Amino acid sequence: MHDDAVPDGDTLARLIRQVATERDRQAYARLYSFFAPRVNAFLRRSGLPPGAAEEVAQETMLSVWRKASYFDPARAGASTWIFTIARNQRIDHLRRMRTANVAESAVPVEDELEPSGEALMLCAERESSVRAALKALSEEQATVVRLSFFSDKPHSEIARELGLPLGTVKSRVRLALGRLRALLEASS
Amino acid sequence: MTIHHHATDETLMRVAAGRLPAGPARVVGVHLAGCPACRERLCTFEAVGGTLLETIEPVPMAAGAFAAALAALDAEAAPTVVSGRAALPVPAMMLPGIPLPETLRDCEMSPWRWIGVGVRASALRLPEDPSARLTLLRVGPGRKLPEHGHVGTEFTQVLAGSFSDGYGRYGPGDLSEMGHEIEHQPIVDPDGECICLAALEGGMRLTGMLGRLIQPFVRL
Ligand SMILES: [Zn+2]
Ligand SMILES: [Zn+2]
Repeated sequence: MHDDAVPDGDTLARLIRQVATERDRQAYARLYSFFAPRVNAFLRRSGLPPGAAEEVAQETMLSVWRKASYFDPARAGASTWIFTIARNQRIDHLRRMRTANVAESAVPVEDELEPSGEALMLCAERESSVRAALKALSEEQATVVRLSFFSDKPHSEIARELGLPLGTVKSRVRLALGRLRALLEASS
Repeated sequence: MTIHHHATDETLMRVAAGRLPAGPARVVGVHLAGCPACRERLCTFEAVGGTLLETIEPVPMAAGAFAAALAALDAEAAPTVVSGRAALPVPAMMLPGIPLPETLRDCEMSPWRWIGVGVRASALRLPEDPSARLTLLRVGPGRKLPEHGHVGTEFTQVLAGSFSDGYGRYGPGDLSEMGHEIEHQPIVDPDGECICLAALEGGMRLTGMLGRLIQPFVRL
């Protein structure tokens, strides 16, 4: 549990594989110590109160154990895969709060969309290009991208948080996303 | 089927972030199911989420959280294999012989109702959010929908047939996203009925007679 070095993507992917194939608890402990506090932070930033954030982070990490065999490094990197689990767990959590009195819905949040063959090949390189592309954004643009992920009503929330007119924020989001995609397309 | 109109970057980012409301999320979900290009772009925005997760300042879990996780896993009798989608019964029919898109088969569909000359609509009830508004529209060949503007974004996925407005021609598989500043008047192409799936984020500003008829239906 006490590993201060930040593991790289390959290491994280290998740890998930070990959990999947050997049910390796030491590998799981390393994943937990790296991801649980980050998922927790992410959920708090996303607006969940501390108790709920921790509960959903815990559920996310339990899903990592249970679903480890579904992890496909050709499709998504370790962090991206765990991010999508956390995202879906958050949606499920909000849904349960909203439909507490309605019969439990059996429909899981979208889990599998089959990627095309070419998508598989692109996925392998995507993670590093995205990281590089995010670094290449201006601070202003990176801020709107980050805030888009953490606010329910991106434009209005962001406008308020930054104290900017709505139109300015809308065009900034558009520019940042366009730039991000251009950088990604250039690198692929 | 060639798709000409796709989800915007902003919409895909909101899907990636899990922040699109239930109704629009379903409309975009139907588009994604039929559009490999948008699925590919979605992967990119999900990777943005992965990078943000990696680089965020961590917030420690409570003491004992890891032990609690191990205990929870120990308590599970057998490793539960999480199956993707629950097997659904007989596919619901949108119209005789035409099933609902697969991604909508868990929705409860109300009977088609006449809401104006040549226009019928059916409301879909979403298990994940019973208050969400998701509407199937059937518009006869050559019919005009009321001219309107939007308070939020209007998401429309064409399931069959086609329509045109001042912004383009939309056929099966196409997704139209009309932003809040835009006014338009969709007109169904003359060669056949158009069936589409629509959801609004925010509301709609309707003008004219048919507009007033639609208004109570979409319950803004
Ligand atoms: Zn598309
Ligand atoms: Zn419209």
